[in-house]
Amino acid sequence: MVLGIALGAAVFTSVRLSIHASLDAFSRSMDLIAGHTDRSLIKPGGRLPETLVAELLRNPAVAGASPVLMAYVHMGGQRANPFLLIGFDPLLDRSFRNWRPAPGSPNDNKMWAELMREPFTLALGAQLAAKHRVTPGDTVILGHSRQQAPFRCVGILDAEGIGMVEGGRIGVTDIATFQEFTGNFGQVDRIDLRMAVGAGDGSDETLQAELPEGVVLARPEEERESGMQMIRAYQLNLSILSFVSLFVGMFLVYSLIALNAANRRSELAILHANGASARQLFLLFLLEGAMLGVGGWLLSVPVGSVIVRYMIQGVSETISTLFVRVHVDRLTLSGWEIALSFAVTLAISLAAAAQPAHAAMKISPKEVMAENPEIERTQSAAGRLGAMGLVAVALVFPLAAIPGPPGLPLPGYLATFLLFTGFSLLSPWCLQLMGRRLANPLRRIGGEPAFLAGRYLSTSGMRTAISVGALITASALFCALVVMIHSFRNTVELWAHQTVSGDVFVTPKMAAINQYRDPIPFDLMQAIQQLDAPADLLPYHRIYLRHRDVMFQFETVDLESFRKHGGFLWVKGEPESAAPAFNRGEGVLVSEVFANLTGLEMGNTFRTRIGEQALNLTVLGIVRDYRTRGGVVFYALAPFNAMFGNPEWGGVRLHLDRSVRDPDRALTALVSDLVALSDGRLDITSGRHLRRAILRIFDETFAVTSILLLIALAVAALGIASTLSVLVLEHRRQFNTMIAVGASRGQIRRLVFWEAMLMVTAGEGAGVLCGFVLSYLLIFVINAQSFGWTFQYRVDWGAVGLSVPLIIGAALFSALPATRLIFRIPPAVLLRER
Amino acid sequence: MPTPDSDPAILAQNLSRIYTMGETRVVGIAGIELEVTAGELVVLKGNSGSGKSTLLSLIAGLDRATAGTLYVAGYDMGSADGAELTRFRREVVGMVFQAFNLLPTLSVEENVCLPALLAGGNGRDIRKRALELLDWLDLEHRRQHVPAQLSGGEMQRTAIARALINDPAVILADEPTGNLDSRNGQIVMELLAELNRRWACTVIIATHSILADPFATRTICLKDGSIKS
Ligand SMILES: Nc1ncnc2c1ncn2[C@@H]1O[C@H](COP(=O)(O)OP(=O)(O)O)[C@@H](O)[C@H]1O
Ligand SMILES: [Mg+2]
Repeated sequence: MVLGIALGAAVFTSVRLSIHASLDAFSRSMDLIAGHTDRSLIKPGGRLPETLVAELLRNPAVAGASPVLMAYVHMGGQRANPFLLIGFDPLLDRSFRNWRPAPGSPNDNKMWAELMREPFTLALGAQLAAKHRVTPGDTVILGHSRQQAPFRCVGILDAEGIGMVEGGRIGVTDIATFQEFTGNFGQVDRIDLRMAVGAGDGSDETLQAELPEGVVLARPEEERESGMQMIRAYQLNLSILSFVSLFVGMFLVYSLIALNAANRRSELAILHANGASARQLFLLFLLEGAMLGVGGWLLSVPVGSVIVRYMIQGVSETISTLFVRVHVDRLTLSGWEIALSFAVTLAISLAAAAQPAHAAMKISPKEVMAENPEIERTQSAAGRLGAMGLVAVALVFPLAAIPGPPGLPLPGYLATFLLFTGFSLLSPWCLQLMGRRLANPLRRIGGEPAFLAGRYLSTSGMRTAISVGALITASALFCALVVMIHSFRNTVELWAHQTVSGDVFVTPKMAAINQYRDPIPFDLMQAIQQLDAPADLLPYHRIYLRHRDVMFQFETVDLESFRKHGGFLWVKGEPESAAPAFNRGEGVLVSEVFANLTGLEMGNTFRTRIGEQALNLTVLGIVRDYRTRGGVVFYALAPFNAMFGNPEWGGVRLHLDRSVRDPDRALTALVSDLVALSDGRLDITSGRHLRRAILRIFDETFAVTSILLLIALAVAALGIASTLSVLVLEHRRQFNTMIAVGASRGQIRRLVFWEAMLMVTAGEGAGVLCGFVLSYLLIFVINAQSFGWTFQYRVDWGAVGLSVPLIIGAALFSALPATRLIFRIPPAVLLRER
Repeated sequence: MPTPDSDPAILAQNLSRIYTMGETRVVGIAGIELEVTAGELVVLKGNSGSGKSTLLSLIAGLDRATAGTLYVAGYDMGSADGAELTRFRREVVGMVFQAFNLLPTLSVEENVCLPALLAGGNGRDIRKRALELLDWLDLEHRRQHVPAQLSGGEMQRTAIARALINDPAVILADEPTGNLDSRNGQIVMELLAELNRRWACTVIIATHSILADPFATRTICLKDGSIKS
């Protein structure tokens, strides 16, 4: 039982620690990269001219300027994980970032001088060098979408400053080398600035005014903040899910203490009669709860340290695929997180112990003499609680309709909380009603034992109601998540087949991780165009931009060809009416995520800036999109090409002609043609493979959720088992009376089974009902508020249906230990007066 | 209606029940020799701890002897299996307890009907019989009440009605007046005596009160688990 609490606490702590580690790694990397930068210059959708640096250095408000280029490249074959290569001017950068050679490497001066003097040299982070067994003087081959080239390693970075970015999986090189390697002559990604000491508040505006068209002044924190913001929404969601397992653990503490109190009821009455004050009894049980909490927490430390090892990997991978790239190299044991988990576990145990402790306090000393049923009191209390529950449930939908702060689904969670509270408050009343109404019909079905079980249900009071409440919670979550995941997966599958249509996807190498900053090289683009294949080419561009805090992708599409092979899933608007304006380049289609995160609606004007162009476009439609990392804005390909002078493709999809006789063979041939012409500089993925990968990521993301769910269900079943045991212990005398007046053991056993059956049916029934409401909240409120997307509502009747016999079976199984308890004491005890 | 026949209603030979709790052995009863003819009203006397309840629980089939033989209404209590004992409790004995042991969640009428319903009788017949009994015991106006709403005397009369619902041949009462005032105690004793007189039930009452004495056909005194003559 303590293990149950430990499991809950361990899951909670592990989840928190894992996310914390990712957040920590991310913000540390961002800080290390930013160094002493006060402001950065960027050009959304393009690069900056290097010549700007000299101009800036002449500006009195600027104390220092350092041009920076960054790209993920691979080393030692295509399979290896890409790492971040930074290119800068070692001289200009000196006052910005901290980097020096590790002890044992050539000395500082010589290393940066060599980087500048010798083309195609680099210095590597210690981690990366160790992994590839590179020492100074060795030559390594680096790959980028432009080319593969040999680099000579001139030093290893010390484990501080830049050397610790992404956990030491990093390389630095001179800016000129970087430009030559990636083919971006005279261009930089970013210019970092340090502002002059005297530069006042207005200096930003003055500086911005002097900058060329399209160049934007940004604070280094901005990027970090919008990244952290996205991780935090995920953190909240996972924390709440993992809290559920702790919460269900609370029911365990509750039933454990109630069981204990029931077992020692007469002992307590005697204690009470002999002068123990009610408060002392209360404290006694509270202390017991606290001990369970502390014990569970202590046990959770070893359990958690095992779990966290698996979790940290999964969580950081999920964050990397969903939000921002993180590389977790160590587990930071945050004292705050540990204190939090301890406090939460203890608080929950105390809260759980409070009610049974309170009940124990109320055991009348008169019980020394006789049994003292408190039927009437519970009945009126149930009515009052039921009314409160109704009010709570009635408030759920109005509350859910309140818009919350973006990315933080507070109203959604509050509505969920109210929903659970409401159903739990309703449960005593429902049980009473059920017991009263059903007792007689039950007699017809199951004879006397069923009738008696119904009767007991209606009078068994708060404790049964609480266990049923736990079951309601667990089965509601189960049902809701089954529905949500099923809807989500169905919609994503549909999206993958409609919107991610295409037989082959061609992109520059490592395009996504480098945010499509480098297009498909011109020669390769021509080669693809000249390919003699029975396939349609659908080129596109993808530009990573930011709209206030929201990162999004600006993507071009040729709507007419796209619709021949697939299409969008429209949330608002429709293809026929949107198409003309869209094709003329007067408007955009935005993804649901983008619309929800920015508040843009149909007909609104969307403003952005790409390079020198300022765009003001009408929102013509809202479409579903489940690609990760922010939203998408779709713009017509032809007007874009006209505006920017036919830029090279960001990527291209190929659709095989429908008339092709043997599509499988044609596809294989097409892929091998593409691979042959790609020269190792393109990523070529079959559509089928890509779609399968999307669904795999989806399933992996929800694996964590499913495990948490199963734990919650198991704990709820344990709760039912212990409630039944309490019930049996408390009614042992009555069961013995029944035996004395002619009940067979079989009848008593059946009574307990019926009891379990009724509790489980009530819990499962109300749980499924509650679950459907919850699934609606999850899909249309919580997902919309925290991720910006919703799904087409689909119920997986199979899984929901399967859960019913499963849970009922588990509960009946859990009645077994209770039935064994009954006969432990011979019925002759009846003759002993109390 | 059970009819008195020539066989003894209860026959105990060298009957013992020794309680063992780990190392220690406590004598409940030891070497009891007892023959009760159908239709007798036996009063069991003796101090607290002398073995009265132990003997009754053996006769009621709630416990098993550790030695000796016991026959009740032709049932061999030593060798009867669980199902036979259940049938025995349903058909042969009715029990009345000091603590009443009514089921708190059931109404008076439901408590009375319970043994017959457990035995699987016809609901309507049972209800009719229960109403007769409640009428006779002056409890008709209490039918719908739950035990917590009754006085001690009413609870014990309800328990008597419950003991009678299956028309048992043997009524066992363990300190039936222990929780009652003397007036109610008197009423209960008279009822038990009437059962014995009117319907020729065999009645065994364990008590240390003197209220039962006037009705006894025989008085047996227990001391330290054995019969004192
Ligand atoms: N379940 C039991 N376990 C151990 N000893 C018992 C048990 N029931 C009765 N006894 C002992 O057996 C003796 C007879 O008890 P009991 O039959 O209850 O006497 P009476 O009913 O005459 O007061 C007592 O000493 C009592 O302590
Ligand atoms: Mg006794």
